[in-house]
Amino acid sequence: MAFDCVIVGAGPAGMSAAVTLAEHGVRSLVLDRGAKAGGQIYRYAASSPLPDPSKLGPDYMSGAALINAFEACGADHVAGADVWHVGDDGRILYSIDGETRQIETREVLVCPGAIERPMPIPGWTLPGVMTAGAAQVMLKTDAIVAENAVFAGSGPLLYLVVAQYLRLGVKVAGLVDTTPRRNFLQAASAAPAALRSASLLHKGISLLSEIRRAGIPVYRQSVQLKLLGQTRVSGLSFYSNGLQQIEADTVFLHHGVIPNPNMTRALGLDHVWNEDQLAWHVKTDLYGQSSIPYIAVAGDGGAIVGGDGAHIEGRLAALNILMRLERISPETRDRLSRSPVGELRRLSQFRRFIDRLYRPSDALRLPQDEDTPVCRCEDQSVADLRAGFQLGARDPNALKSRTRCGMGPCQGRQCGPIVSDLLANWRGEHVSDVGYYRMRSPQRLLSLEELSRFKTVSSLQPRAREASR
Amino acid sequence: MKTADVLIIGGGIHGSSTAYHLAREGISVILLEKDYVARHASGVNAGGVRVLGRDLAEVPLSKISMQMWQTLDSELDADTGFRSTSMVYIAANEADITTLKQREARMNAAGHTHERIIDQRELRELLPYVHPSCTGGAVSQQDGHANPYRSTNAFRLAAERFGASIVEGTELRNLRRVGSSWIAQTPKGTFEAGTVVNCAGAWADKVALMIGDNVPLNHAAPMLMITARMPHFVEPVVGAVSRQLSFKQFENGTVLIGGGAKGFAERAANKTRLDYEKLANAARTTIDFFPIMTRAAINRMWAGLEAYMPDNLPVVSPSANAENAFHAFGFSAHGFQLGPIIGKVTADMILTGQPGFDLSAFRVDRYDRKVL
Repeated sequence: MAFDCVIVGAGPAGMSAAVTLAEHGVRSLVLDRGAKAGGQIYRYAASSPLPDPSKLGPDYMSGAALINAFEACGADHVAGADVWHVGDDGRILYSIDGETRQIETREVLVCPGAIERPMPIPGWTLPGVMTAGAAQVMLKTDAIVAENAVFAGSGPLLYLVVAQYLRLGVKVAGLVDTTPRRNFLQAASAAPAALRSASLLHKGISLLSEIRRAGIPVYRQSVQLKLLGQTRVSGLSFYSNGLQQIEADTVFLHHGVIPNPNMTRALGLDHVWNEDQLAWHVKTDLYGQSSIPYIAVAGDGGAIVGGDGAHIEGRLAALNILMRLERISPETRDRLSRSPVGELRRLSQFRRFIDRLYRPSDALRLPQDEDTPVCRCEDQSVADLRAGFQLGARDPNALKSRTRCGMGPCQGRQCGPIVSDLLANWRGEHVSDVGYYRMRSPQRLLSLEELSRFKTVSSLQPRAREASR
Repeated sequence: MKTADVLIIGGGIHGSSTAYHLAREGISVILLEKDYVARHASGVNAGGVRVLGRDLAEVPLSKISMQMWQTLDSELDADTGFRSTSMVYIAANEADITTLKQREARMNAAGHTHERIIDQRELRELLPYVHPSCTGGAVSQQDGHANPYRSTNAFRLAAERFGASIVEGTELRNLRRVGSSWIAQTPKGTFEAGTVVNCAGAWADKVALMIGDNVPLNHAAPMLMITARMPHFVEPVVGAVSRQLSFKQFENGTVLIGGGAKGFAERAANKTRLDYEKLANAARTTIDFFPIMTRAAINRMWAGLEAYMPDNLPVVSPSANAENAFHAFGFSAHGFQLGPIIGKVTADMILTGQPGFDLSAFRVDRYDRKVL
C-alpha cells in the first residue's frame, strides 16, 4: 500500500495542510525531525519549558492552537523521523530508531522551512558568534539565554528575539541595527499597500518601541561591522555616528531568512531567482505545485512568506492535493481557495514592505575582505575561492570540486548563497546565470549503519503511531 | 570560423590529456566541452589510481600510466592530489585465494609481477581494522588515489599553457567531413580541423556516429558516497575479490565508498538518480568487512555518467570508417588511472601512426559482424 500524501515537516505549513487534508478525509503521514510538532516558529509552543511562555509573544502562543488542531486531526505524525531523501519518483527515505525506512506516496508536500541568510562579516565564524535563530532555538527548546549579548543586523526576527530577551529580564548589551537609511525610502512606496495589514504593521512598530523603552543601547544605520577576538568573540566594532565598540562574549547576527534550498534542490525542482528577496525560490503555482506535479512545496521553504503565510500556503497546497487525489472537484478547490488566496495576497503586500525595509546591504551579504571565511566546514576564504576561480572554476560546482568549498557536513547550506553571489560578481553576470550548487541527498549526516538497515514500509508501524501521541 | 590542426570532442581526462600531449608537440588544438571540464565521470569519480585487478589487455598501458602518475605533478606543475598508498584486494575466504592464484599464474605468464598475493598475517598488517575472518589478499604497491577534478584540470591548464584552446559550454551539434576537413557545428559557432578525436565519454557513441562508426556503447551511473572526516584507520585503497567493496580514506579523514553499484542515468537530461537500496547493500558490505565503519557518517551520495562497452574495455582506436578521426572512450568506470597514457597514445596515433602498444583489444569495430 502506498500513502496518499506524505508531508515532510510539521511547521505551520505542514500542520495546516494535514488539518485541511483530514477535513476532507485524507489521512496524511507527517514526517518531522523534531520531537514535537511546530517547526521552528512554533517550536514547543504547546509544551514550553518556560515558566511563562506568553512572554515570547502572541504569535508564538497562537502556534499552540494550530499544534492542538494538528494533533487532533488524525494525521499520522511520526516525530523524530529524519527525512534525508525525497526523490523525484515520490520515494521518501527517513531515519528513525537507527534504521532507514523507505516509503512511497502518490503526493508529496515538502515544507523544509527557512534558514537564516549567512552574514559573512569579518570574524563571523568565531566561537561565540551565533544567529538570532539559534538564540530562539535555545530559548524555546531549553529555556537557555545568553546574558549581555549583542544583537546585530536587521529584520523582524532579530527585533523579536531582542524583545523576548528583554521581557524575560535578560540583559542585552546592545542592538546594532544595520538597516540602511535608503531602505526606508524604498519601503515607503510599498507602505500604503502594507497599511491594509495594519495589525501586522502595528505589531512591528510596537516591538521596536518596546526595545526603545527598555533603554538598551540601540545603534542605527550601522556599517563596517567587525567581530573582535582571536580564538573566540570578544565584541563587535562598527560605525554608527562614529566608531563604536561593544564588548561581549556572545554576538547574535541576523539579517533575514531565505528558503532552505537543500531538499528542493536535491529533488531537482525548478528554482527562480527573486530579486525582491535576494534569494532563490522554488518555482510553483498558486497552490505550491512544483515543476514535478506530484510534488508541492509550502511555507518558507518555497519562498519567504512568514508563519501566517505558511499556514495559508499549507491549506492551499492541501486543497490542490485533494483535487489531484480526486477527493474534491476543481470547482470546490477554487471555491475553497478564494478566501485563503485573498489573505495571502494581502500578506504578500505587507511582505513586500518588509522585504524593502529590511533588504540586506551588499556589504553584509558579500564578504568584503579577502581573508573572510566563506565555507566554515572546509575553511575556505574569499581569497581561496578567488584562486580557484582564476584556475578556471567558473561554475559553483566546479569551484566546489576545486576548493572543497561546500563539501563539508553542512553541504553548502551556509556558503551556497555567498558562492553564487561571489561568482556572479567575478564573472560580471547576474546570479541567475551563475546558478547554484547541485545538491544531493542525504539532507544531513547519515550514519552508515542506519543506511545499512534499510527497510521498505508500506503501512505505519504501531511504534510510529504511538510516537504521535 | 575557428580552425586548428586537431579538434577534440570532450573535456574529460582523456580529452584534456590528449590536448596536453598534442599541444606540447606544437600542434594547434581546440577542445570542445559541452558543460565544463571534468563535469562528468572525469571529475566526480572515486579517484582510484590502480593497476590491480585490470584486464590483461589493459595492463601494459596501465603500468606505464602508473609510472607517469608518480611524476605527474611536476610534469604538469599542478597538484593532482596523487598519493601512492598501495591497493589491497581482500580475499574473504579460500575460494577467493584460489581465484587470486589463478590470476597470478596468468599475470606471471604474461610477464607481470606487480600484483603480489599476501597471507592473513600480512593482510592484517596492511589493514589492521579488517574483519578477522578475511584470509588474505593481493596487493599492488604503486597504486593509490588522486583528486579527479584537479587531475583532469591539471591536464587542461597545462594544455592551455602550450596554447590549446579549451572551449567550455559548447555542445557539438553536427560533425562532418568535407574534403580534408572536419567541420563541427556548435551553438558558439563553427570549428574546423584536419583531425578529430572523440573523447566524449558517456556521449561518445553519438560523436562516433557523426564520424561514421557504430559502437554498442552503454551508459550508466556508478554510485559513490563519502563520509565526514573520521580518525585515520586505513592507508591502502581497499577492494575485495568477490564482493562489491571499494573504499579509500583521504588525508583529510573522509572515506569514499564505491563498489560499482549503479544508479539510473538520464543522459539526455545530464542527470543521475541513485538507487538507495543498492547503496544500503554497499553500506552493509563495507561494515561487514570493516566493523569500524559502523561509526561512519555519510555526508554525500552521488553518481556520475559513465560510458560502458559490453566487454568493459575501452575504445582506443583510429576510426574504422573515416580518415583522420580517432576515438578514446568507453573506459567502463576504470579510465581515470589511464588518463596520462591515453592522451600520450592518442597523440602518438595522430602524430606518427605508432601508438607503441598493442591496441587490438580496443578497436572501435570489434563488435562489427565477423565473417569466417
